Amino acid sequence: MNCERMKDLLADYLAGELDEKTLAEAQGHLAGCAACRGELESLSAIWTKLGVLPKEQPSDALRSRFYDMLEAYKENLAKGGIAARPLHSISLWLSRLMPRRPAYQLALAFGLIIAGLGSGYFLNVRSRSNARFEVATLKQEVDEMRRTVAVSLLKQASPSERLMGVSWSSRIDQPGGEIITALLETLDHDSNVNVRLAAVDALYLFYGHREVKDGLVRSLAGQTSPLVQLALIDLLVGIRERRAAEALEGLIQDHKLNPKVKKRAELGLVQLS
Amino acid sequence: MVEPKSIWVSPSGIRRFVDPTSDNRLMKEIKDGRVERLAILFERYHIMLFNFFLRLTGNRSSSEDLVQDVFFRILKYRKTYLGQSKFSVWMYQIARNVHVDFLRKRKLEVPLDDQFEEPASSETPAVERLSAEIDASLLKRALDRLPLRKKEVLLLSRFQELKYREIAELLGCDIGSIKSTVHRAIKDLGRIYLELQGGESP
Repeated sequence: MNCERMKDLLADYLAGELDEKTLAEAQGHLAGCAACRGELESLSAIWTKLGVLPKEQPSDALRSRFYDMLEAYKENLAKGGIAARPLHSISLWLSRLMPRRPAYQLALAFGLIIAGLGSGYFLNVRSRSNARFEVATLKQEVDEMRRTVAVSLLKQASPSERLMGVSWSSRIDQPGGEIITALLETLDHDSNVNVRLAAVDALYLFYGHREVKDGLVRSLAGQTSPLVQLALIDLLVGIRERRAAEALEGLIQDHKLNPKVKKRAELGLVQLS
Repeated sequence: MVEPKSIWVSPSGIRRFVDPTSDNRLMKEIKDGRVERLAILFERYHIMLFNFFLRLTGNRSSSEDLVQDVFFRILKYRKTYLGQSKFSVWMYQIARNVHVDFLRKRKLEVPLDDQFEEPASSETPAVERLSAEIDASLLKRALDRLPLRKKEVLLLSRFQELKYREIAELLGCDIGSIKSTVHRAIKDLGRIYLELQGGESP
């Protein structure tokens, strides 16, 4: 045996996996080769040392976790087994329902197709009306939210925020009395002309409401800014609100009235009559 | 609840010369639906597996998680065990996969330096300690410095009672490369050990 061959056998030598014949040959070589003997000695020193590494013990939790897992797995399997059996008996029961004669089988097939189509149609219609209902509910909720935002914005100190409040309120589909009151309030009392003008525009969207018309007519008399007056006159004439005529006549009597507004009011009176 | 008491445990809790065919028989029963028989395999192998993972990860609680994962996968994939290779070879194949998954996950979570928590690698052994204990702690630290492949092969051959032939089957390579890996691993381990020893007592 040479050193090359000995090297190949070292791992087996350490593990004690050499057969007797090879072991004897290896020992013969080792006796005469100091280099291989040295190598084997240092290797087996470490190999043996590895044996002193104590075997560590896991905590008790490992064992109890394992048994919990096993138990859960078993229960799951058992459940699966029970579930599989009724399925089998259902298919047996169904097969008994199948008529023997082909003509009846065909009739049954057609019947099932019709029933399927019918129930599909029915379900479709139902789910559509369901969807419509859900969308409506959602819309209502969004409206509700916008209303809250608008009202709170309209009460802010900064004119730009109040303007935003007006624009929010114009995006509401179903304004409650609360929003209309807030907008009319803004129209009558807001200190900022731009906000009041925006309120006129927003209220135009809701002119179908009786209290909006009333409020607009009432407001016309109280306005001082020519711009707002013009906008209001335009609006009232535009929606053909006859009750505005009285308010317009009142305006015309006012001596301090801006001439342009006066002109517009006179024209409006003609248009309304 | 399955009663742990009713299960075979070797006196030392360490498996010695278990007839490998009995493992196969148990696996067959488990495949046939008697999953509770897995408890016997658990009692036979969990300490060895725990030590295998402990040497690889250096972390006790992770190692326990990994052992649990191995037995869960044995249950889950029990149908894929065909009995052609020894049960323990198949089991260590699963163990290696579990470890690879663990490394992948850990790479995403923790920087490398924070991974080893085992106190033995950081504390200085007291002078009055038994020399065997100092040896053990030095050896553990030396093992930790071996590259993964060498470490794995060494652990499997020295502690997991697997033959080189079986390790070759497990790792999917030829027996010659396993033997030379063992040879080089022991050599490197000896060198690292001596270096550490020199560092400990100048």
